[in-house]
Amino acid sequence: MARSLIMQQRRKRYQKMVLLPLIGSMLLILGPALFLQLYLSFNFYSIYSSGWWEAEWYALDIFIDVLKDTRFHASIFRSLLFATISTIGCFFIGFGLALLMYRNFRLQWFYYIIFIIPMLTVPIVIAYTAEMILYQKGPLNGILSMIFDREMMIMWITNPDIALFTVMLMEIWNWTPFSFIIMMAGLASLPKEPVEAAQILGASRLKIFFEIQLPLLRPIIILALVLRFLESMAEFPKTWAIFQGGPGTSTETIPVYIYLNTWYYFDWSKAAAMSYIVMFLMVVIILGAIKILQKENKRINQYQSN
Amino acid sequence: MTKSKQNLIDNIIRYTLLTFWLLIVLFPLFWIFSTSFKPDKDWLAWPPVYWSEEPTMSNYRNVWGGAMEYSETQYAQSVQKPFTALRNSTIISFISTFLSVSFGAFIAYGVSRYKVLSEARMFQLLMLRMVPPIIIVGPLSLYYTTIGMIDSLTGLIAIYFITTLPYAVWMSKSFIDEVPIELEQAAEIMGAGRWTIITEVVFPVIRSGLLATFLFILILTWSEYLVAFILSKTDAVTLPVELAKYEGSSEGRVYGRQAALSVGITFPLIIVGILIRKHLARGFSFGMIRK
Repeated sequence: MARSLIMQQRRKRYQKMVLLPLIGSMLLILGPALFLQLYLSFNFYSIYSSGWWEAEWYALDIFIDVLKDTRFHASIFRSLLFATISTIGCFFIGFGLALLMYRNFRLQWFYYIIFIIPMLTVPIVIAYTAEMILYQKGPLNGILSMIFDREMMIMWITNPDIALFTVMLMEIWNWTPFSFIIMMAGLASLPKEPVEAAQILGASRLKIFFEIQLPLLRPIIILALVLRFLESMAEFPKTWAIFQGGPGTSTETIPVYIYLNTWYYFDWSKAAAMSYIVMFLMVVIILGAIKILQKENKRINQYQSN
Repeated sequence: MTKSKQNLIDNIIRYTLLTFWLLIVLFPLFWIFSTSFKPDKDWLAWPPVYWSEEPTMSNYRNVWGGAMEYSETQYAQSVQKPFTALRNSTIISFISTFLSVSFGAFIAYGVSRYKVLSEARMFQLLMLRMVPPIIIVGPLSLYYTTIGMIDSLTGLIAIYFITTLPYAVWMSKSFIDEVPIELEQAAEIMGAGRWTIITEVVFPVIRSGLLATFLFILILTWSEYLVAFILSKTDAVTLPVELAKYEGSSEGRVYGRQAALSVGITFPLIIVGILIRKHLARGFSFGMIRK
């Protein structure tokens, strides 16, 4: 009894000590920014106004304006599409590579080291490199022309129908290693006995994969998908550096459209209202994701402690 | 089919597929490396020049040598300050990472031993990382302008500290959880206080884990673009932001210089990442995967 009381006191003291900097920095930095965001979305402010504190009260007009904006709707749809496809792309390639590699073989370490490099490359560097490579008369079209033995002039960057796909390709190149390392870790931590037992019973490899390995890997697969999806929703450098939302509006994802509204159209209030809506949307998605992660994390913990 | 024959076919398929992906991974890296040694005329040549016949160091000299050398492609020299950017990137990423990992590790200890944050709170902490930064950087830049912290190293350090904290807490917690509690009890019996136990028993035991956490967050901070791009103008420009400045108004991008700078930005990170490769899965999964 006394002991638990002491523990309780210690806990309290420790809690105060360590959480103070966390809460303090959040109040000092994020607090005012969030307040300004709220303020701006009800008071009209653009760069031409004198100071933000003199912005004019617009009540809900800015929100209504944003909700009616079809470009905004399109950007939400585009972001979801971009995040979904690139997440799936990263996952299938990463999982495929992990399946080819998780059993020990001679050059495993070598491939592993090379395969994680894209994830360690600075995203903005990837963007500029991609631009050099995807240039209409650039090396990628050069190589494709060589392979197919005819002039291939795919307009990776200037064709509005392809541009978003090009960003997806960059994202997939960049983040396949993420799915790869997570699935490698997952496959390595699988218990060996069920697979061996099935092999002795004469089950085919496909059957073992779908009926034993895949169900066991489920929590890790979900983890890989959820985390990647959330990060893809926020992707900015690769989309921005090459395309700035263009050609036309074909690569205008949520981050790009908010950026354009703030720093190109100088419509800070619209951007703030949009940010609020996006924040609301993301928080809903994230809370769902967190629920899923929390559940799967328990499972992962269970068999990691085995 | 015999077993060895099956194995041979397996191996052929495996190596073909792996090597195919290997080429896809290496090609862009090769391209940026080779472009950094190309003279101006080879940057956008058709058919593409894979390796220049007259490799030159002029791109590197131009970026890192104080911009002495002008070539056919003239561009505004005055705006580029690669050394300032290098200094800024180093200061910002090291200090914010250090703060994040040290505070993060103490919070993590509290969570691991005293549950100072409930499980639900720990997951809410992840939100600091998961909400896209674009939604806050606008108002943040306005706030920073108002209090005079725009374009300052302090401003960037503060925001990076906050946004990397979830990684620091989660990742170091995953290491602290693995320290046997008996070790601490033994130290306690010998009369060690809480502070001594943490700094002289727990942290030394997991020092390689803490180092991995540090380097992992360093990678994230060093490569960050959006926040640095918006909160800096001239004085606090970091390397990723600096990279965009090698662009002439009429000539388009100055590819060779960009490539030379890119190699400099990326190469150290790749080395660091390879050194901590065993911990990358743990880092990116917020410590949920421990192997």
